[in-house]
Amino acid sequence: MTAGGISDPGLGAALGPWLWTGALLVLAVAVVIGAVEGMSGRAPRASMRLSALGTLLIAAFGTLCLSGPGEVTASLGTALGFATIDVRYDALSGVFVLILGIVGLAASVAAIDGLSHEPSSALTGMAYPVFILSMVLVFGSASGFAFLLAWELMALSSAVLVIGARPSVEHLRSGYLYIAFTHLATAALVIAFAILWTQGAGDPRFSSWAAAAAALPPGARDLVFGLLVVGFGTKAGAMPFHVWLPRAHPVAPSHVSALMSGVMIKTGIYGLIRLGLEVMGPGPDWWGVLLIVIGSASAVMGILYALMEHDLKRLLAFSSIENIGIILLGLGAAVVLRAHGLASLAAVGLVAALFHSVNHALFKGLLFLGAGAVQHASGDRNLNRLGGLIRVMPRAALLFGVGAAAISGLPPLNGFASEWLTFESLIGLGGSTSIPPLVRSIGLLAVGALALTAALSLAAFVKATGMTFLALPRSARVAATAHDAARGELAGMGLLAVLCVGMGLAAGAASGGLTTLAGSLLGGVTEPPTAVTIGAATRPAGSVAPLLLAVALLGVAGAAGLASAAGGRRRIVRRVATWTCGILPDAVMEYTATSYAKPIRLFFRRVLLPERTVVTEYHPGSPVPHSMRYQGTVTHVFESHLFRPLHRVAIRGAQLVRRLQGGSLQLYLAYALGALVLLLVVAR
Amino acid sequence: MSAFAGAEPVASVVLVGLQVALLGGLAPLLSGTIRKTKARLQSRRGASVWQPYRDLRTCWAKSTVESSTASPVQRFAPPLVLGAVSAAVLLVPTVAMRAPLAGWGDLLALVGLLATARFILALAALDAGGAFGGMGSSRDVAIAALIEPGLVLALVGAAVAAGSTDLGAMASSGAARGVDLLTPAHLLAAAAFVLIAVAESGHLPVDNPDTHLELTMVHEGMILEASGRRLGLLLLAAHLRQVLLLALFVAAFAPWGMAADLSAAGLAIGAALLLVKLLLAAQGLAVLDAMVPKLRILRLPDYLGLASALAVAGLAARIWLPG
Repeated sequence: MTAGGISDPGLGAALGPWLWTGALLVLAVAVVIGAVEGMSGRAPRASMRLSALGTLLIAAFGTLCLSGPGEVTASLGTALGFATIDVRYDALSGVFVLILGIVGLAASVAAIDGLSHEPSSALTGMAYPVFILSMVLVFGSASGFAFLLAWELMALSSAVLVIGARPSVEHLRSGYLYIAFTHLATAALVIAFAILWTQGAGDPRFSSWAAAAAALPPGARDLVFGLLVVGFGTKAGAMPFHVWLPRAHPVAPSHVSALMSGVMIKTGIYGLIRLGLEVMGPGPDWWGVLLIVIGSASAVMGILYALMEHDLKRLLAFSSIENIGIILLGLGAAVVLRAHGLASLAAVGLVAALFHSVNHALFKGLLFLGAGAVQHASGDRNLNRLGGLIRVMPRAALLFGVGAAAISGLPPLNGFASEWLTFESLIGLGGSTSIPPLVRSIGLLAVGALALTAALSLAAFVKATGMTFLALPRSARVAATAHDAARGELAGMGLLAVLCVGMGLAAGAASGGLTTLAGSLLGGVTEPPTAVTIGAATRPAGSVAPLLLAVALLGVAGAAGLASAAGGRRRIVRRVATWTCGILPDAVMEYTATSYAKPIRLFFRRVLLPERTVVTEYHPGSPVPHSMRYQGTVTHVFESHLFRPLHRVAIRGAQLVRRLQGGSLQLYLAYALGALVLLLVVAR
Repeated sequence: MSAFAGAEPVASVVLVGLQVALLGGLAPLLSGTIRKTKARLQSRRGASVWQPYRDLRTCWAKSTVESSTASPVQRFAPPLVLGAVSAAVLLVPTVAMRAPLAGWGDLLALVGLLATARFILALAALDAGGAFGGMGSSRDVAIAALIEPGLVLALVGAAVAAGSTDLGAMASSGAARGVDLLTPAHLLAAAAFVLIAVAESGHLPVDNPDTHLELTMVHEGMILEASGRRLGLLLLAAHLRQVLLLALFVAAFAPWGMAADLSAAGLAIGAALLLVKLLLAAQGLAVLDAMVPKLRILRLPDYLGLASALAVAGLAARIWLPG
């Protein structure tokens, strides 16, 4: 191993290889300790503490790569004679390594206290540090072989975590679906990589693939781009390849869900930027339009399905699909704008995508950790049974509320800042007269889709927060048993919540920093990086100063609050029961998660295709029903109309093939003989 | 915009003062005139146009009754809602072609701040655990989902024409074009905005500000558990939200006559014209309120879908029609 080829000497750059090696070593030790702890059936707390240290080092390393004192490279030599394992961390890697470090740190700290609820085995104890380690390698792989190796390691370790130590049928089914889809993704990537590899004269390094991609005939370029979208889109959970995501993320332990939703699906986004944008270079308009269409569909449908869920973690998983959609909108706008030479607007789109990737990691990590805290504290995550938890876990409620407001894209928090940039890039696309009218129209329709998404996500997260924390508990068990969140869980959530607020208020600085990176990725951006940050004046000139908005909002609110608190007798607050038309209030009267979403379920019934069944039971001879049960579901069209039929075809095909494997030795000998004869004939 | 360039801080102070006095001070009056006109059209005498001020004074003088189920959300929500709506109001250019807080936020920030207010209010409505609060909250966020695409798309057309999402730039670019502003694209977007503004400010046929009938109320359902000064703050926020939407319409679709600089004459003319335009728009709302029946909530997608369709048609006209 020849570590540390460094392009720019200096203290920061010299630190890079040390941090990287240190993080990997700490995580390797965590793997061993996790195995030992898991084998003895204990919660892997020591391993989690080491993982927290490892992720802290990763966060420091990511910051270093992002601030760019130079690239950190290492080569593990030729592993199999035909492939080198190279890693190279530049600023783009740095963005993703940094969010891995931060979310990983929060998740590990939360898991130190939260893990006693989960069963563990040697395999699951090992898998968590391996999962983090594999993502560090994915974000730094500089050659196709290394990338696929790390990619598969990531898929397998996360699959182990999804299936868990004592799998139920649900866990096994989710794990199966996850593995099937992740292999679909890898298959698409292998083909795309193989095309680039052969065109690049067998050089496996990404750096040489840009020239190879440029030399490909247009049809092959389109094919490679399409395969990259399928491969990376599946990992990212973009529609229609999202089917695995809402099943796999909720069944994993919450700290793993936080990492999967916050960081792992971003490996798909990272791959799209690294290969789809950087390696493939400018392409025809439809590349970007494809991303915009997939992005709009994922955003709108993802959040609609999220709204229909009453399982808190499934709701969060569907909302990850929505956020991936928003990221793809920015990315698609960047692709179209770059192809038309509008480099600085394209940079706005790419910055939007990168910034939203970071922001989504922060608030989705926070919300998943919050969901974990809720589940541990109340023993439930069904919104129709939760309620009133703000009284037993007030700090967790506040932190969850910050995450919910941030993910709803509300100023002055971070979600608003990156959605604002996405809006600006799409409006800029729609307003650029050098782009064909049809493409412009699609850009402006995507503006409408994004506005719809923002409003729906507000509804979804008012529902998630309100049903979990406010009013009265909707089930006796939650009311009786709920307790406060553990210290580690609050610490992990607190870190992410502070960053959600901070990244919102300092959005100008953050997006300014990303602009340099976006400019270098797109090539040919010569404007100073400040030209396209929030608060600047490129066309379409628009500016937002989240910090000042916060000042205005809180200034008026503070004044109003103080004024209404002043004045002696009138400050008296009497507390009486809620008015319910004269009867005593009861949790049964409250709106539930299902009823809360009913207007939207009806408004969007043509896409959601809701079904309801009411079962009424009577005692024999009595006209009065003694029980009524109501059940409502919505139809997931991609699942029922695309993947179920495909799955049936695949199973039927497999059954046909199985006839070949009849189990009789004579038959197998006949196959061998036949193959031999065939070979002799062919190779004559 | 250049006319203000030399005097940015002065302009901000002057315009914030004017905005607070005009929009903040007159928002309840505007609601009062709407109710008065509506009553007259229904052959009633109606309450005085000053009644909203009396309501606010009554609220301010009362002590607060709070649900025993309620959490601190109930206490913090009303000032925050008022804060978010007030910040949004200060982003709209009204008297002059420059927003009082120019550069602090554009039209997307304005839409975002309204969403912030909605988020807080919708959460607070769930706090007491009553069925009315849940109903109002659930309906409000659902209707908002139908409103927001149309609202953004209607305004984006004007933004594309102005080459900026900054509301001041949109107003000055629109005013500079004079009567030429009235292109098909512009008229379609304006029509879409009217339909949207009616819904967003809680008027018929979407919501009825005068009812406490459980089958129909949306906004009133959300504030049912609020009382005393908290209710006062929320009522003031609702008045402000209504005047904000009317002012936004003026800025984006009828910006003629706004002051181009800080001269006293320009500001006086701008303020006078603004009042005329706001009063006219308010009377329009009143006529609508008096004449249009409430739509069943299930029919709302048709109504608001029409608004979005008009907005999309406006954008298509902007892209495909020459000129």
